[in-house]
Amino acid sequence: MDKIIYAIMGNNCSKEELTDLVKGIWGISGSSLYALSFKEISVAVSDFSASKFVVDKEMAIDFARVIEQLSQNLTLLPVRFGTFLKSDEDILKLLADHYDPFYNNLLEVWDKDEFGLKVIWDYEKGSKKIREEAENEEVKADTYFSKSTVHTNYLLEKIKKHKLEDALLRHVEKLIGEICVYLAQINPACKFKKMVSNSLILDGVFLVEKDKKDEFVHAIESLKQQHDDLHFLLTGPWPPYSFVEIDQSF
Amino acid sequence: MSENKILLNSVPIEEFKESIETIENVAASRINATPDNADHGLAQLVLTLIELIRKLVEKQAIRRVEGGSLSDEEIERLGETLMKLEMKMVELKQIFNLSDDDLNINLGPLGSLM
Repeated sequence: MDKIIYAIMGNNCSKEELTDLVKGIWGISGSSLYALSFKEISVAVSDFSASKFVVDKEMAIDFARVIEQLSQNLTLLPVRFGTFLKSDEDILKLLADHYDPFYNNLLEVWDKDEFGLKVIWDYEKGSKKIREEAENEEVKADTYFSKSTVHTNYLLEKIKKHKLEDALLRHVEKLIGEICVYLAQINPACKFKKMVSNSLILDGVFLVEKDKKDEFVHAIESLKQQHDDLHFLLTGPWPPYSFVEIDQSF
Repeated sequence: MSENKILLNSVPIEEFKESIETIENVAASRINATPDNADHGLAQLVLTLIELIRKLVEKQAIRRVEGGSLSDEEIERLGETLMKLEMKMVELKQIFNLSDDDLNINLGPLGSLM
């Protein structure tokens, strides 16, 4: 029987406690979950035939449920959905071969949760001022070209488009700067995707110490008060999906 | 997920839906080649790569124009080349029945292509 791996876990508790904890959680499709340990790290596994593994929404949610339940009591690194190995021996070898990167990554996420922040705006309204400023910047053809042709006009339109994109990015970067100021006391690790779409201008993830959750939420609420033009969607706590830095190509 | 994960939500329902659709589009934007649509899947993959390179070339070209290091003749040639490349891409997308969204693949941590 193949082995499906859910998470690499830090040993927050004794081996006996870990065994009991893992036994109390069902794996995907009702499979039995168990833990394998090597030094200070463990891995949550269940027997599951890879040929019966269907990549669909239900299975993904079930897989996420296992990780979520484990993360209630343990510091862990979620493993990529659908990671199979052949035997317990292979898994223990994996832990031994990659012990240092696993352990170091676990230390980085120790007792921390991930939070997601999406900042959304009405593109037409929100970007109006920026678009007007970009248009008023007067990108003149003679700044770049000595003559006007169909090809230089084409380039001029491209230059205008790029200037607008740059202006929008600068606006988002300014917002990121503000977020960092608001969160300075909490000092979370963070990652941002800018201008994911015209409406989703910022998609950020934060790694926050568990006991600073309320402080973090309060800081984001305060930030929201300063921006009537922006909509905020804050979610969490999540297992640290976005802060797994190890190579999962095993 | 047993507990409510939404801690703060000031997003109007319409914009929330639009945002979710964006995320779903990103998920759906992965190249989906099967035995039945191998030609289409391959065309999508190839055109996506071409579009990525075209966008990079365009950005670099605009930077050089803005930098003022090109002669009139070079600028004219650059404009003509970029214009023809863009027109050719429109033509190829029509031939393979692909839209801009089809070529806007998810590059993982780098975000979407366009």
